[in-house]
Amino acid sequence: MTREVLIRYDRCTGCRSCELACAVAHSASKTLLGAIGEAKRPLKRIFVHQAGAKKVPLNCRHCGEAPCLDACIAGSMYRTTEGIVTNEGGERPCVGCWMCVMVCPYGVIRSELKEKLAVKCDRNCLDDGKVPACVRACPTGALVYESIDQFGEDRRKEFLAKAVGGQ
Amino acid sequence: MKVVIVGNSAAGIAAAENLRSLEPLAEITVLSQENHPSYSRCLIAEIVAGAVFDSIRYRPDSFFEERNINLIRGVRVHSVNHASSTVSFGEEKEASYDKLLVATGSRPVRLGVAGEELDGVFVLRSYDQAELISRCAAAANDAVVIGGGLVGLKAAYALRRRGLPVTVLVKSSHLLTRQLDALSAAMVEKELREAGISFIYGQNPVGFKCGADPKALGFVVLEDGREIPAGLALVAKGVSPNAELVREAGGEISSGIKVNAFMETSLPNVYAAGDCIEVTDCVTGRQTPSALWTLAVEQGRYAAINMAGRQKAYPDPLTRLNAAQFGRLPFVSVGAMEEGEEFLTWQKEGRVYQKLAIREDRLVGFIMVGLIEQAGVFTSLIKSKRPLGNLRGDFLQGKVSAANLI
Repeated sequence: MTREVLIRYDRCTGCRSCELACAVAHSASKTLLGAIGEAKRPLKRIFVHQAGAKKVPLNCRHCGEAPCLDACIAGSMYRTTEGIVTNEGGERPCVGCWMCVMVCPYGVIRSELKEKLAVKCDRNCLDDGKVPACVRACPTGALVYESIDQFGEDRRKEFLAKAVGGQ
Repeated sequence: MKVVIVGNSAAGIAAAENLRSLEPLAEITVLSQENHPSYSRCLIAEIVAGAVFDSIRYRPDSFFEERNINLIRGVRVHSVNHASSTVSFGEEKEASYDKLLVATGSRPVRLGVAGEELDGVFVLRSYDQAELISRCAAAANDAVVIGGGLVGLKAAYALRRRGLPVTVLVKSSHLLTRQLDALSAAMVEKELREAGISFIYGQNPVGFKCGADPKALGFVVLEDGREIPAGLALVAKGVSPNAELVREAGGEISSGIKVNAFMETSLPNVYAAGDCIEVTDCVTGRQTPSALWTLAVEQGRYAAINMAGRQKAYPDPLTRLNAAQFGRLPFVSVGAMEEGEEFLTWQKEGRVYQKLAIREDRLVGFIMVGLIEQAGVFTSLIKSKRPLGNLRGDFLQGKVSAANLI
Protein backbone atom coordinates (compact mmCIF):
# COMPACT_ATOMS: atom_id res chain seq x y z
CA MET A 1 0.00 0.00 0.00
CA THR A 2 1.25 3.51 -0.82
CA ARG A 3 2.57 5.47 2.12
CA GLU A 4 2.23 9.20 2.30
CA VAL A 5 3.59 12.07 4.29
CA LEU A 6 0.69 13.15 6.47
CA ILE A 7 0.66 16.38 8.41
CA ARG A 8 -0.60 17.02 11.95
CA TYR A 9 -0.68 20.79 11.84
CA ASP A 10 -1.34 21.20 15.55
CA ARG A 11 2.05 19.66 16.36
CA CYS A 12 4.20 21.83 14.09
CA THR A 13 6.36 24.35 15.99
CA GLY A 14 7.90 25.81 12.85
CA CYS A 15 11.42 24.59 13.62
CA ARG A 16 12.08 23.94 9.90
CA SER A 17 14.05 20.76 10.62
CA CYS A 18 12.10 19.15 7.77
CA GLU A 19 13.21 21.83 5.29
CA LEU A 20 16.83 21.41 6.27
CA ALA A 21 16.69 17.61 6.15
CA CYS A 22 14.99 17.75 2.74
CA ALA A 23 17.68 20.01 1.29
CA VAL A 24 20.48 17.87 2.74
CA ALA A 25 18.89 14.68 1.39
CA HIS A 26 18.89 16.30 -2.07
CA SER A 27 22.51 17.45 -1.84
CA ALA A 28 25.43 15.67 -3.47
CA SER A 29 27.14 14.82 -0.19
CA LYS A 30 23.97 14.00 1.82
CA THR A 31 25.50 15.60 4.91
CA LEU A 32 24.74 19.00 6.41
CA LEU A 33 28.38 20.05 6.51
CA GLY A 34 28.97 18.89 2.95
CA ALA A 35 25.74 20.45 1.67
CA ILE A 36 26.69 23.89 3.00
CA GLY A 37 29.87 23.90 0.93
CA GLU A 38 28.41 22.63 -2.33
CA ALA A 39 28.62 24.89 -5.36
CA LYS A 40 25.12 23.85 -6.46
CA ARG A 41 22.81 24.91 -3.66
CA PRO A 42 20.72 21.94 -2.54
CA LEU A 43 16.99 22.74 -2.73
CA LYS A 44 14.31 21.90 -0.18
CA ARG A 45 11.00 20.60 -1.46
CA ILE A 46 8.97 21.08 1.71
CA PHE A 47 7.94 24.52 2.93
CA VAL A 48 6.93 25.61 6.41
CA HIS A 49 4.45 28.45 6.12
CA GLN A 50 3.21 30.83 8.76
CA ALA A 51 -0.54 31.20 8.48
CA GLY A 52 -1.82 33.47 11.23
CA ALA A 53 -0.80 31.79 14.45
CA LYS A 54 -0.38 28.39 12.77
CA LYS A 55 2.80 26.86 11.36
CA VAL A 56 2.08 24.64 8.40
CA PRO A 57 4.58 22.37 6.65
CA LEU A 58 3.52 21.65 3.07
CA ASN A 59 4.96 19.37 0.43
CA CYS A 60 3.66 17.54 -2.62
CA ARG A 61 0.57 15.44 -1.92
CA HIS A 62 1.17 13.27 -5.00
CA CYS A 63 -2.52 13.86 -5.81
CA GLY A 64 -4.68 11.13 -7.29
CA GLU A 65 -5.80 13.44 -10.11
CA ALA A 66 -2.69 15.59 -10.15
CA PRO A 67 -3.21 18.86 -12.07
CA CYS A 68 0.53 19.05 -12.78
CA LEU A 69 0.33 15.82 -14.79
CA ASP A 70 -2.30 17.27 -17.15
CA ALA A 71 -0.53 20.60 -17.37
CA CYS A 72 2.97 19.43 -18.27
CA ILE A 73 3.53 20.38 -21.91
CA ALA A 74 6.85 18.56 -22.16
CA GLY A 75 5.59 15.12 -21.11
CA SER A 76 8.07 15.32 -18.26
CA MET A 77 5.81 14.99 -15.21
CA TYR A 78 4.78 11.38 -14.63
CA ARG A 79 3.63 9.00 -11.93
CA THR A 80 6.03 6.24 -10.92
CA THR A 81 4.81 2.70 -10.25
CA GLU A 82 5.04 3.60 -6.53
CA GLY A 83 2.59 6.46 -7.09
CA ILE A 84 5.14 9.28 -6.84
CA VAL A 85 4.48 12.25 -9.13
CA THR A 86 7.82 13.57 -10.36
CA ASN A 87 9.54 15.25 -13.30
CA GLU A 88 12.87 13.56 -12.65
CA GLY A 89 14.17 10.39 -14.18
CA GLY A 90 11.30 9.96 -16.65
CA GLU A 91 11.08 9.75 -20.43
CA ARG A 92 11.31 13.50 -21.04
CA PRO A 93 13.28 16.30 -19.37
CA CYS A 94 11.62 19.32 -17.74
CA VAL A 95 11.82 22.46 -19.92
CA GLY A 96 10.78 25.02 -17.29
CA CYS A 97 7.48 26.05 -18.88
CA TRP A 98 5.99 26.66 -15.38
CA MET A 99 2.65 25.10 -16.20
CA CYS A 100 2.89 22.84 -13.13
CA VAL A 101 3.74 25.83 -10.92
CA MET A 102 0.67 27.58 -12.34
CA VAL A 103 -1.76 24.79 -11.45
CA CYS A 104 -0.44 23.18 -8.24
CA PRO A 105 -3.10 24.02 -5.61
CA TYR A 106 -0.61 23.54 -2.78
CA GLY A 107 2.04 25.82 -4.28
CA VAL A 108 4.76 23.25 -3.59
CA ILE A 109 6.56 23.22 -6.94
CA ARG A 110 9.56 25.55 -7.12
CA SER A 111 10.51 27.45 -10.24
CA GLU A 112 14.28 27.53 -10.64
CA LEU A 113 14.44 30.30 -13.21
CA LYS A 114 18.12 30.11 -14.14
CA GLU A 115 18.10 26.37 -14.73
CA LYS A 116 14.55 26.51 -16.16
CA LEU A 117 13.69 23.59 -13.95
CA ALA A 118 10.62 22.86 -11.86
CA VAL A 119 11.67 21.27 -8.55
CA LYS A 120 9.36 19.26 -6.32
CA CYS A 121 9.18 16.43 -3.80
CA ASP A 122 10.45 13.32 -5.56
CA ARG A 123 10.81 11.00 -2.55
CA ASN A 124 14.45 10.43 -3.48
CA CYS A 125 15.25 10.90 0.19
CA LEU A 126 14.22 7.64 1.86
CA ASP A 127 16.57 6.31 4.51
CA ASP A 128 17.37 2.65 5.24
CA GLY A 129 14.04 2.30 6.98
CA LYS A 130 12.29 3.69 3.85
CA VAL A 131 11.27 6.86 5.70
CA PRO A 132 11.50 10.28 3.99
CA ALA A 133 14.08 12.73 5.34
CA CYS A 134 11.47 15.34 6.35
CA VAL A 135 9.55 12.84 8.45
CA ARG A 136 12.70 11.42 10.05
CA ALA A 137 13.82 14.94 11.00
CA CYS A 138 10.53 16.11 12.54
CA PRO A 139 11.03 16.26 16.32
CA THR A 140 7.37 16.65 17.28
CA GLY A 141 5.66 14.05 15.13
CA ALA A 142 3.92 16.71 13.05
CA LEU A 143 4.96 14.75 9.97
CA VAL A 144 4.14 11.06 9.81
CA TYR A 145 4.68 8.57 7.03
CA GLU A 146 1.80 6.15 6.84
CA SER A 147 -0.29 4.08 4.54
CA ILE A 148 -3.35 5.87 3.38
CA ASP A 149 -5.99 4.25 5.47
CA GLN A 150 -9.42 5.74 5.66
CA PHE A 151 -8.22 8.23 8.23
CA GLY A 152 -5.54 9.59 5.96
CA GLU A 153 -7.83 9.71 2.98
CA ASP A 154 -10.42 11.61 4.99
CA ARG A 155 -7.84 14.09 6.19
CA ARG A 156 -6.63 14.67 2.67
CA LYS A 157 -10.10 15.21 1.31
CA GLU A 158 -10.88 17.52 4.20
CA PHE A 159 -7.78 19.57 3.38
CA LEU A 160 -8.66 19.76 -0.28
CA ALA A 161 -12.22 20.75 0.49
CA LYS A 162 -11.04 23.53 2.80
CA ALA A 163 -8.16 24.68 0.65
CA VAL A 164 -9.66 24.70 -2.77
CA GLY A 165 -13.29 23.78 -2.36
CA GLY A 166 -14.41 27.14 -1.05
CA GLN A 167 -15.79 25.79 2.22
CA MET B 1 -15.48 -2.03 -27.55
CA LYS B 2 -14.00 -0.39 -30.63
CA VAL B 3 -12.74 3.16 -30.22
CA VAL B 4 -11.42 5.40 -32.97
CA ILE B 5 -9.55 8.57 -32.03
CA VAL B 6 -8.89 11.21 -34.69
CA GLY B 7 -5.79 13.16 -33.69
CA ASN B 8 -2.45 12.31 -32.13
CA SER B 9 -1.80 15.37 -30.01
CA ALA B 10 -2.68 16.45 -26.46
CA ALA B 11 -6.33 15.36 -26.34
CA GLY B 12 -5.95 12.26 -28.52
CA ILE B 13 -2.95 10.92 -26.61
CA ALA B 14 -4.49 11.63 -23.19
CA ALA B 15 -7.69 9.88 -24.28
CA ALA B 16 -5.87 6.82 -25.64
CA GLU B 17 -3.71 6.55 -22.53
CA ASN B 18 -6.61 6.85 -20.08
CA LEU B 19 -8.91 4.64 -22.10
CA ARG B 20 -6.33 1.89 -22.14
CA SER B 21 -5.99 1.92 -18.36
CA LEU B 22 -9.79 1.90 -17.93
CA GLU B 23 -10.53 -0.65 -20.67
CA PRO B 24 -7.74 -3.20 -21.02
CA LEU B 25 -9.60 -5.05 -23.79
CA ALA B 26 -10.85 -2.15 -25.92
CA GLU B 27 -9.70 -2.01 -29.51
CA ILE B 28 -8.18 1.47 -29.82
CA THR B 29 -7.15 3.05 -33.13
CA VAL B 30 -5.55 6.50 -33.40
CA LEU B 31 -5.61 8.19 -36.81
CA SER B 32 -3.06 10.93 -37.24
CA GLN B 33 -2.72 13.32 -40.14
CA GLU B 34 0.82 14.21 -39.17
CA ASN B 35 3.40 11.59 -39.99
CA HIS B 36 5.57 12.05 -36.91
CA PRO B 37 5.93 10.48 -33.49
CA SER B 38 3.96 12.39 -30.85
CA TYR B 39 5.49 15.73 -29.97
CA SER B 40 4.66 18.77 -27.86
CA ARG B 41 3.09 21.43 -30.04
CA CYS B 42 3.88 24.06 -27.40
CA LEU B 43 7.58 23.49 -27.98
CA ILE B 44 7.78 23.75 -31.78
CA ALA B 45 9.34 27.23 -31.56
CA GLU B 46 12.42 25.34 -30.35
CA ILE B 47 12.64 23.76 -33.80
CA VAL B 48 12.59 27.26 -35.31
CA ALA B 49 15.54 28.05 -33.03
CA GLY B 50 17.41 25.11 -34.51
CA ALA B 51 16.60 22.26 -32.10
CA VAL B 52 16.12 18.69 -33.34
CA PHE B 53 12.88 16.67 -33.28
CA ASP B 54 14.02 14.55 -30.37
CA SER B 55 14.03 17.55 -28.06
CA ILE B 56 10.26 18.11 -28.44
CA ARG B 57 9.05 14.50 -28.20
CA TYR B 58 6.04 14.16 -25.89
CA ARG B 59 5.83 10.39 -25.50
CA PRO B 60 8.41 7.74 -26.37
CA ASP B 61 8.01 5.80 -29.62
CA SER B 62 7.16 2.68 -27.67
CA PHE B 63 4.12 4.38 -26.08
CA PHE B 64 1.48 3.05 -28.50
CA GLU B 65 2.90 -0.42 -28.93
CA GLU B 66 3.29 -0.95 -25.19
CA ARG B 67 -0.35 -0.11 -24.72
CA ASN B 68 -1.55 -2.09 -27.69
CA ILE B 69 -2.92 1.02 -29.38
CA ASN B 70 -3.09 0.91 -33.16
CA LEU B 71 -1.56 4.18 -34.41
CA ILE B 72 -1.96 4.97 -38.12
CA ARG B 73 0.10 8.00 -39.12
CA GLY B 74 0.04 10.21 -42.17
CA VAL B 75 -3.64 9.75 -43.00
CA ARG B 76 -6.40 12.31 -43.42
CA VAL B 77 -9.84 11.52 -42.08
CA HIS B 78 -12.31 12.58 -44.76
CA SER B 79 -15.69 12.06 -43.15
CA VAL B 80 -17.71 10.65 -40.30
CA ASN B 81 -20.78 8.59 -41.12
CA HIS B 82 -22.65 8.28 -37.85
CA ALA B 83 -25.48 6.24 -39.37
CA SER B 84 -23.05 3.39 -40.10
CA SER B 85 -20.65 4.35 -37.26
CA THR B 86 -17.68 4.56 -39.59
CA VAL B 87 -15.02 7.05 -40.57
CA SER B 88 -13.41 7.13 -43.99
CA PHE B 89 -9.71 7.93 -44.12
CA GLY B 90 -6.59 7.69 -46.25
CA GLU B 91 -7.06 6.13 -49.65
CA GLU B 92 -10.56 4.69 -49.56
CA LYS B 93 -10.10 3.13 -46.15
CA GLU B 94 -12.78 2.81 -43.54
CA ALA B 95 -12.79 2.19 -39.80
CA SER B 96 -15.85 1.32 -37.76
CA TYR B 97 -16.34 2.43 -34.18
CA ASP B 98 -18.52 1.99 -31.15
CA LYS B 99 -17.20 5.30 -29.83
CA LEU B 100 -15.44 8.00 -31.84
CA LEU B 101 -13.33 10.83 -30.43
CA VAL B 102 -12.72 13.85 -32.63
CA ALA B 103 -9.53 15.55 -31.44
CA THR B 104 -8.63 17.38 -34.61
CA GLY B 105 -7.16 20.49 -33.00
CA SER B 106 -7.07 23.92 -34.61
CA ARG B 107 -5.30 25.70 -37.41
CA PRO B 108 -3.69 29.11 -37.74
CA VAL B 109 -5.78 32.02 -38.96
CA ARG B 110 -4.55 33.49 -42.25
CA LEU B 111 -4.58 37.22 -43.00
CA GLY B 112 -6.12 36.93 -46.45
CA VAL B 113 -3.94 39.67 -47.95
CA ALA B 114 -2.09 39.84 -51.27
CA GLY B 115 1.14 37.90 -51.53
CA GLU B 116 0.45 35.57 -48.59
CA GLU B 117 1.23 32.60 -50.88
CA LEU B 118 4.81 33.76 -51.55
CA ASP B 119 7.69 31.51 -50.51
CA GLY B 120 8.91 32.71 -47.14
CA VAL B 121 5.49 33.50 -45.65
CA PHE B 122 4.64 30.98 -42.95
CA VAL B 123 2.30 30.01 -40.17
CA LEU B 124 3.51 28.00 -37.18
CA ARG B 125 1.39 25.14 -35.92
CA SER B 126 3.10 21.85 -36.77
CA TYR B 127 6.55 20.33 -36.67
CA ASP B 128 6.65 20.36 -40.48
CA GLN B 129 5.94 24.09 -40.59
CA ALA B 130 8.57 24.73 -37.91
CA GLU B 131 11.08 22.73 -39.93
CA LEU B 132 10.32 24.78 -43.08
CA ILE B 133 10.74 28.02 -41.13
CA SER B 134 14.01 26.77 -39.71
CA ARG B 135 15.32 26.00 -43.21
CA CYS B 136 14.20 29.39 -44.54
CA ALA B 137 15.76 31.14 -41.52
CA ALA B 138 19.13 29.62 -42.36
CA ALA B 139 19.17 31.54 -45.66
CA ALA B 140 17.15 34.66 -44.76
CA ASN B 141 18.67 38.03 -43.84
CA ASP B 142 15.76 39.35 -41.83
CA ALA B 143 12.45 38.22 -40.38
CA VAL B 144 9.10 39.83 -39.58
CA VAL B 145 6.67 38.23 -37.13
CA ILE B 146 3.05 39.33 -37.37
CA GLY B 147 1.27 39.14 -34.03
CA GLY B 148 2.22 39.96 -30.45
CA GLY B 149 0.70 36.83 -28.90
CA LEU B 150 2.51 33.90 -27.31
CA VAL B 151 3.13 31.96 -30.52
CA GLY B 152 4.45 35.04 -32.32
CA LEU B 153 6.74 36.05 -29.47
CA LYS B 154 8.08 32.53 -28.91
CA ALA B 155 8.87 32.33 -32.64
CA ALA B 156 10.40 35.82 -32.68
CA TYR B 157 12.61 34.90 -29.74
CA ALA B 158 13.61 31.65 -31.47
CA LEU B 159 14.49 33.43 -34.73
CA ARG B 160 16.48 36.03 -32.81
CA ARG B 161 18.43 33.30 -31.04
CA ARG B 162 19.57 32.18 -34.50
CA GLY B 163 21.02 35.64 -35.05
CA LEU B 164 18.39 36.98 -37.45
CA PRO B 165 17.24 40.60 -37.14
CA VAL B 166 13.58 40.27 -36.10
CA THR B 167 10.76 42.82 -36.18
CA VAL B 168 7.41 42.05 -34.55
CA LEU B 169 4.27 43.78 -35.87
CA VAL B 170 1.66 44.30 -33.19
CA LYS B 171 -1.74 45.72 -34.04
CA SER B 172 -2.70 46.29 -30.39
CA SER B 173 -1.21 48.89 -28.09
CA HIS B 174 0.83 46.31 -26.15
CA LEU B 175 2.07 42.71 -26.31
CA LEU B 176 0.15 39.68 -25.08
CA THR B 177 -3.19 41.49 -24.73
CA ARG B 178 -4.93 38.22 -23.85
CA GLN B 179 -2.56 37.59 -20.98
CA LEU B 180 -1.04 40.82 -19.70
CA ASP B 181 -1.80 44.46 -18.89
CA ALA B 182 0.21 47.36 -20.32
CA LEU B 183 2.71 47.46 -17.45
CA SER B 184 3.54 43.75 -17.39
CA ALA B 185 3.62 43.63 -21.20
CA ALA B 186 6.19 46.43 -21.14
CA MET B 187 8.39 44.30 -18.87
CA VAL B 188 8.23 41.43 -21.37
CA GLU B 189 8.87 43.84 -24.23
CA LYS B 190 11.95 45.23 -22.46
CA GLU B 191 13.32 41.71 -22.05
CA LEU B 192 12.74 40.98 -25.76
CA ARG B 193 14.22 44.32 -26.86
CA GLU B 194 17.31 43.53 -24.83
CA ALA B 195 17.56 40.30 -26.80
CA GLY B 196 17.60 42.46 -29.95
CA ILE B 197 13.99 42.21 -31.18
CA SER B 198 12.29 45.36 -32.60
CA PHE B 199 8.59 46.19 -32.41
CA ILE B 200 6.20 48.17 -34.58
CA TYR B 201 2.83 48.92 -32.97
CA GLY B 202 -0.56 49.77 -34.43
CA GLN B 203 0.14 48.15 -37.77
CA ASN B 204 -1.11 45.10 -39.61
CA PRO B 205 0.35 44.04 -42.95
CA VAL B 206 -1.78 44.89 -45.96
CA GLY B 207 0.27 42.69 -48.26
CA PHE B 208 3.48 40.81 -48.95
CA LYS B 209 5.72 41.75 -51.91
CA CYS B 210 8.38 39.76 -53.69
CA GLY B 211 11.98 40.89 -53.98
CA ALA B 212 14.37 39.98 -56.82
CA ASP B 213 12.87 36.48 -57.04
CA PRO B 214 9.22 36.90 -58.15
CA LYS B 215 8.15 33.82 -56.16
CA ALA B 216 9.83 34.70 -52.91
CA LEU B 217 9.01 37.22 -50.18
CA GLY B 218 11.02 40.44 -50.21
CA PHE B 219 8.93 42.96 -48.24
CA VAL B 220 6.08 43.16 -45.79
CA VAL B 221 3.80 46.12 -46.65
CA LEU B 222 2.25 47.96 -43.70
CA GLU B 223 -1.02 49.89 -43.43
CA ASP B 224 0.88 53.18 -43.46
CA GLY B 225 2.62 52.22 -46.72
CA ARG B 226 5.98 51.34 -45.21
CA GLU B 227 7.72 48.35 -46.79
CA ILE B 228 9.79 46.31 -44.33
CA PRO B 229 12.47 44.12 -45.97
CA ALA B 230 11.99 40.49 -44.98
CA GLY B 231 13.21 37.15 -46.27
CA LEU B 232 10.92 35.41 -43.81
CA ALA B 233 7.51 36.35 -42.42
CA LEU B 234 5.47 34.47 -39.87
CA VAL B 235 1.75 35.09 -39.49
CA ALA B 236 0.78 34.41 -35.86
CA LYS B 237 -2.71 35.83 -35.44
CA GLY B 238 -4.36 33.05 -33.48
CA VAL B 239 -6.04 29.77 -34.33
CA SER B 240 -9.48 28.52 -35.29
CA PRO B 241 -10.96 25.11 -34.42
CA ASN B 242 -10.90 22.26 -36.95
CA ALA B 243 -14.62 21.52 -36.70
CA GLU B 244 -15.30 20.35 -40.28
CA LEU B 245 -15.57 16.61 -39.59
CA VAL B 246 -18.41 17.13 -37.15
CA ARG B 247 -20.01 19.98 -39.07
CA GLU B 248 -20.15 18.01 -42.32
CA ALA B 249 -21.60 15.02 -40.49
CA GLY B 250 -24.44 17.26 -39.29
CA GLY B 251 -23.18 17.91 -35.76
CA GLU B 252 -23.73 21.11 -33.87
CA ILE B 253 -21.01 23.76 -34.19
CA SER B 254 -20.61 27.18 -32.65
CA SER B 255 -17.22 28.85 -32.21
CA GLY B 256 -15.99 25.25 -32.10
CA ILE B 257 -17.56 21.79 -31.89
CA LYS B 258 -20.35 21.84 -29.30
CA VAL B 259 -20.03 19.20 -26.58
CA ASN B 260 -21.97 18.54 -23.39
CA ALA B 261 -20.37 18.04 -19.97
CA PHE B 262 -19.61 14.43 -20.91
CA MET B 263 -17.63 15.53 -23.97
CA GLU B 264 -20.37 14.20 -26.31
CA THR B 265 -21.12 16.05 -29.55
CA SER B 266 -24.70 16.21 -30.84
CA LEU B 267 -23.93 13.11 -32.96
CA PRO B 268 -24.55 9.68 -31.36
CA ASN B 269 -21.39 8.04 -29.92
CA VAL B 270 -19.22 10.87 -31.21
CA TYR B 271 -17.14 12.71 -28.62
CA ALA B 272 -14.81 15.66 -29.09
CA ALA B 273 -11.97 17.16 -27.05
CA GLY B 274 -9.16 19.69 -27.32
CA ASP B 275 -8.69 22.76 -29.50
CA CYS B 276 -11.52 21.74 -31.86
CA ILE B 277 -14.26 22.26 -29.24
CA GLU B 278 -16.00 25.18 -27.63
CA VAL B 279 -16.05 25.42 -23.83
CA THR B 280 -17.62 27.73 -21.25
CA ASP B 281 -15.14 29.76 -19.24
CA CYS B 282 -15.67 29.20 -15.51
CA VAL B 283 -15.09 32.85 -14.62
CA THR B 284 -16.80 34.76 -17.42
CA GLY B 285 -19.47 32.17 -18.25
CA ARG B 286 -18.81 32.93 -21.91
CA GLN B 287 -18.42 30.36 -24.68
CA THR B 288 -15.01 30.33 -26.28
CA PRO B 289 -12.78 27.95 -28.26
CA SER B 290 -10.80 25.79 -25.84
CA ALA B 291 -7.37 26.33 -27.46
CA LEU B 292 -5.01 25.36 -24.62
CA TRP B 293 -2.78 22.29 -24.40
CA THR B 294 -3.51 21.82 -20.69
CA LEU B 295 -7.27 21.83 -21.27
CA ALA B 296 -6.91 19.44 -24.20
CA VAL B 297 -5.19 16.90 -21.93
CA GLU B 298 -7.93 17.28 -19.28
CA GLN B 299 -10.65 16.92 -21.88
CA GLY B 300 -9.00 13.88 -23.46
CA ARG B 301 -8.97 12.29 -20.03
CA TYR B 302 -12.63 13.12 -19.38
CA ALA B 303 -13.62 11.90 -22.85
CA ALA B 304 -11.92 8.57 -22.12
CA ILE B 305 -13.71 8.19 -18.78
CA ASN B 306 -17.07 8.89 -20.41
CA MET B 307 -16.42 6.74 -23.48
CA ALA B 308 -15.61 3.93 -21.06
CA GLY B 309 -19.11 4.36 -19.65
CA ARG B 310 -18.15 5.90 -16.30
CA GLN B 311 -20.14 9.11 -16.38
CA LYS B 312 -18.07 12.03 -15.17
CA ALA B 313 -18.91 15.66 -15.92
CA TYR B 314 -16.12 17.96 -17.05
CA PRO B 315 -16.20 21.12 -14.94
CA ASP B 316 -16.13 24.42 -16.84
CA PRO B 317 -12.44 25.25 -17.23
CA LEU B 318 -10.38 28.40 -16.90
CA THR B 319 -9.71 29.30 -20.52
CA ARG B 320 -6.98 31.78 -19.75
CA LEU B 321 -4.18 29.81 -18.22
CA ASN B 322 -0.73 30.68 -19.53
CA ALA B 323 2.81 30.43 -18.27
CA ALA B 324 6.01 31.26 -20.16
CA GLN B 325 9.47 32.67 -19.76
CA PHE B 326 11.38 34.98 -22.09
CA GLY B 327 15.04 35.43 -21.23
CA ARG B 328 15.19 35.73 -17.47
CA LEU B 329 11.60 36.86 -17.11
CA PRO B 330 8.92 34.30 -16.26
CA PHE B 331 5.22 35.12 -16.14
CA VAL B 332 1.93 33.46 -15.33
CA SER B 333 -1.47 34.80 -16.31
CA VAL B 334 -4.70 33.17 -15.20
CA GLY B 335 -8.39 34.05 -15.27
CA ALA B 336 -10.23 37.10 -16.52
CA MET B 337 -8.56 40.35 -15.51
CA GLU B 338 -11.29 42.31 -17.31
CA GLU B 339 -13.88 40.92 -14.87
CA GLY B 340 -12.10 42.60 -11.95
CA GLU B 341 -13.79 45.46 -10.07
CA GLU B 342 -10.85 46.04 -7.77
CA PHE B 343 -7.14 45.48 -8.35
CA LEU B 344 -4.27 44.85 -5.98
CA THR B 345 -0.77 45.35 -7.34
CA TRP B 346 2.74 44.87 -6.07
CA GLN B 347 5.98 45.87 -7.81
CA LYS B 348 9.60 45.43 -6.89
CA GLU B 349 12.67 46.89 -8.56
CA GLY B 350 11.20 46.74 -12.03
CA ARG B 351 11.72 42.96 -12.01
CA VAL B 352 8.64 41.76 -10.15
CA TYR B 353 5.03 42.68 -10.80
CA GLN B 354 1.95 40.99 -9.44
CA LYS B 355 -1.64 42.04 -9.98
CA LEU B 356 -4.83 40.49 -8.67
CA ALA B 357 -8.29 41.14 -10.05
CA ILE B 358 -11.09 40.85 -7.49
CA ARG B 359 -14.86 40.91 -7.89
CA GLU B 360 -17.33 40.61 -5.03
CA ASP B 361 -14.61 39.44 -2.65
CA ARG B 362 -13.49 36.67 -5.00
CA LEU B 363 -10.33 36.36 -7.05
CA VAL B 364 -11.19 36.36 -10.77
CA GLY B 365 -7.75 36.75 -12.33
CA PHE B 366 -4.07 37.40 -11.69
CA ILE B 367 -0.83 38.26 -13.42
CA MET B 368 2.56 37.38 -11.96
CA VAL B 369 5.73 38.54 -13.65
CA GLY B 370 9.26 37.89 -12.40
CA LEU B 371 8.11 35.94 -9.34
CA ILE B 372 5.69 33.09 -9.95
CA GLU B 373 6.02 30.92 -6.84
CA GLN B 374 2.65 29.88 -5.36
CA ALA B 375 0.84 30.79 -8.60
CA GLY B 376 -1.14 27.55 -8.40
CA VAL B 377 -2.65 28.54 -5.04
CA PHE B 378 -4.12 31.62 -6.73
CA THR B 379 -5.32 29.54 -9.67
CA SER B 380 -7.20 27.24 -7.33
CA LEU B 381 -8.67 30.24 -5.50
CA ILE B 382 -10.14 31.45 -8.81
CA LYS B 383 -11.53 28.01 -9.58
CA SER B 384 -13.03 27.50 -6.13
CA LYS B 385 -14.63 30.99 -6.06
CA ARG B 386 -13.82 31.07 -2.37
CA PRO B 387 -14.44 34.41 -0.60
CA LEU B 388 -11.15 36.09 0.24
CA GLY B 389 -12.24 37.61 3.55
CA ASN B 390 -9.35 38.52 5.81
CA LEU B 391 -6.75 37.04 3.44
CA ARG B 392 -6.77 40.07 1.21
CA GLY B 393 -4.51 42.21 3.38
CA ASP B 394 -1.65 39.74 3.04
CA PHE B 395 -2.36 38.75 -0.47
CA LEU B 396 0.67 39.84 -2.41
CA GLN B 397 4.40 39.63 -1.80
CA GLY B 398 4.25 35.87 -1.42
CA LYS B 399 2.53 36.19 1.97
CA VAL B 400 -0.42 33.98 1.08
CA SER B 401 0.20 30.27 0.67
CA ALA B 402 -1.97 27.19 0.65
CA ALA B 403 -1.38 27.16 4.41
CA ASN B 404 -3.65 30.18 4.79
CA LEU B 405 -6.49 28.30 3.19
CA ILE B 406 -6.65 25.47 5.69
